[in-house]
Amino acid sequence: MSRQKWFIIALIAPAILVMAFVVFYPFVYNVFLAFGNMNLSRIRDWELVGFRQFIKIFTEPSQPDFYVVFLKTIIWTAANVFFHVVIGVFLALVLNQHLKGRGAFRTILILPWAIPQYIVALTWRGMFNYEYGSINLIITKYLGLPAVEWLKSPTEAFLAIILTNVWLGFPFMMVIALGALQSIPHELYEAAEIDGAKWHHKLRTITLPLIRPVMIPAITLGVIWTFNNLNIVWLVSNAGEPSDNTHILVSFVYKAAFNFYSFSHAAALSLIIFVILLTFSLFFMRKTRATESAY
Amino acid sequence: MMNQKRPHRFWVCHLVLSTALMLSFSGCGAKVQDLNTIVIWHQMRPDERAILQRQLRRYEERTPGIKVVEIYKETEELRSGFVIASIAGQGPDLVYGPSDPIGIYEATKTIQPLEQFLSKDYLDQFSGSAQTWHNDHLYQIADKIGNHLALVYNKKYLERPPTSDRELIEMSRQIQEKHGSLAGRPNVYGLAWNYTEPFFFIPFLTGFGGWVFDEDGVTPSLNSTAMVNALRFVRALRDTHRIIPNESDYEIADALFKDQKTAMLINGDWSWAGYVEKGIDVGIAPLPMISETGLWCAPMTSPKGYSLSANVPPEKIESVIRLLRFLLNEENQLETVRAIMTAPTLRSLYGRTEIRSHPIIMNSLLQIERGRPMPVVPEMRAVWDAMRPPYQAVMGGARTSEQAARDMQDLALKKIRDMNE
Repeated sequence: MSRQKWFIIALIAPAILVMAFVVFYPFVYNVFLAFGNMNLSRIRDWELVGFRQFIKIFTEPSQPDFYVVFLKTIIWTAANVFFHVVIGVFLALVLNQHLKGRGAFRTILILPWAIPQYIVALTWRGMFNYEYGSINLIITKYLGLPAVEWLKSPTEAFLAIILTNVWLGFPFMMVIALGALQSIPHELYEAAEIDGAKWHHKLRTITLPLIRPVMIPAITLGVIWTFNNLNIVWLVSNAGEPSDNTHILVSFVYKAAFNFYSFSHAAALSLIIFVILLTFSLFFMRKTRATESAY
Repeated sequence: MMNQKRPHRFWVCHLVLSTALMLSFSGCGAKVQDLNTIVIWHQMRPDERAILQRQLRRYEERTPGIKVVEIYKETEELRSGFVIASIAGQGPDLVYGPSDPIGIYEATKTIQPLEQFLSKDYLDQFSGSAQTWHNDHLYQIADKIGNHLALVYNKKYLERPPTSDRELIEMSRQIQEKHGSLAGRPNVYGLAWNYTEPFFFIPFLTGFGGWVFDEDGVTPSLNSTAMVNALRFVRALRDTHRIIPNESDYEIADALFKDQKTAMLINGDWSWAGYVEKGIDVGIAPLPMISETGLWCAPMTSPKGYSLSANVPPEKIESVIRLLRFLLNEENQLETVRAIMTAPTLRSLYGRTEIRSHPIIMNSLLQIERGRPMPVVPEMRAVWDAMRPPYQAVMGGARTSEQAARDMQDLALKKIRDMNE
């Protein structure tokens, strides 16, 4: 082998070593666990049992039901990413104008992202309290509507965690969209104006196509992060309350592993999540031709 | 282009970096034992932790060369983290907490028996309930007994605590009427507690004559008349008598009592000192009797203490046990009792006037006497997890009490089956 090849190998070897320890080894171990029977009573002498965990997940009734949790995860991810993108892009368009105090607005709008998630989640949980929470106080006092049992009813509790995560997640999309908007050459807009284009024409034919190459990877990342967002679900709903009705797949996995000690069951669920996200990412990236250049 | 000297320098740097990397990962395997550093994992609240830290500093001063590191972990994280870390050959030397995870620790072989290191004479100095024996081995020795719920009341609103459920309801109504309401919400509630957690529901279950296990101590007995009646009773407190808040988890109940917006609170001995510090004229009383059955509401009681990790090597055990004996000694227990009013475990301390004349500690002891020890079998974990969703569904109006009792039982049996498969 040539000296240059050795040099290249030497350069990438430390990175490969790190990857092997922090990515490949845990992943392979997780795959083994998924085909095993590691639980509380067999934590030290577990063995491989084939597809038993997967069969159990797909065929045996559980509390909460796997398919219901899966459906909720899709609703949770779709609703969050949709609002993150819509609000984020809208605010980026506003901030991209020549506004007075633009810097201050930008700082304020980034705040939700800058506050630690734990604090955000617990603050929102307090705000959703039926009697003393600020949200119900606003609803009853200023809107004259009846108070909502945010954390006691399954649907409202699920809505509450979505609202919290929407608030928390839009600044990321806003920052990404703003960066993409600022890279669009101004001449394109000037040319469009000369041609008599209205704002919505410019938005449809210039802005959106040109921010797409940046937004597609951001949306893909957003989907993966939201799909796997344990903190907000766990903390706002206090570990799936009421009655384990606010779980998404990842909180379901966490509960199986660390509350019930069903490590192999949790590993099998993790593998299913991995396959879902991998399939989605490949399909989405190919379908949207995200890797192609806009210019 | 590279000159002649550079490749050598490059390879040396590369070798150093790679070795450092390998060494850093070698820490991921079994723990390299530092015999002079003892690590304790615990779930003590800040006031308890401050006392522990003082005691450990004293120990370090008296035992030169030994360093003690205490690490706080939230209760659930402590339990699961300890099991996982221990299996990986990591974790602390001593783990401190309530006795209920002992069954799990024993099943996972993450702790080792203590009776081989502590003589019978030494153990006899401690109250029987301070020693957690499981499968004929001593797995935990406590510095506090109780960890139990009791009725906390604000003397500003009540001259004396209620002794029966009827009195509790009547007194709560009177307090609420006296202090009026705003937009349909009482300015002061009669009672509050964390009614999302089954641990806080146990006193009602026992008050109606129920328990979580059959006589064999491992088969759940959740589908019982007592369970149905207890669920109905708790729901009626909110929906019929309207003496508890519409929604109340631990934080809300705690905040309501601290803000003097509830006259009574059901909470554990870990919280009482905080209310006294807050300047509230606090009284502690045993939980009332259920008139229908003539039984006292009996909370679960459990000691809080230390267990020895299975990973402590033989050559380190002596120094860890020496520290354990120091933490359990009279001087340290008395310091804790004076500061946070918990019940001690050394028999000698019960004869002291300052304890016998302390109303909070004495009422706490009375409540412990009326309580029932929390089972330490691993099946208890399945019972908690099976009780929680149906209980919350009853309080949310999504299930009847009868249906919830059936669901709890089915779920508990399934979880135990899964656990043992």
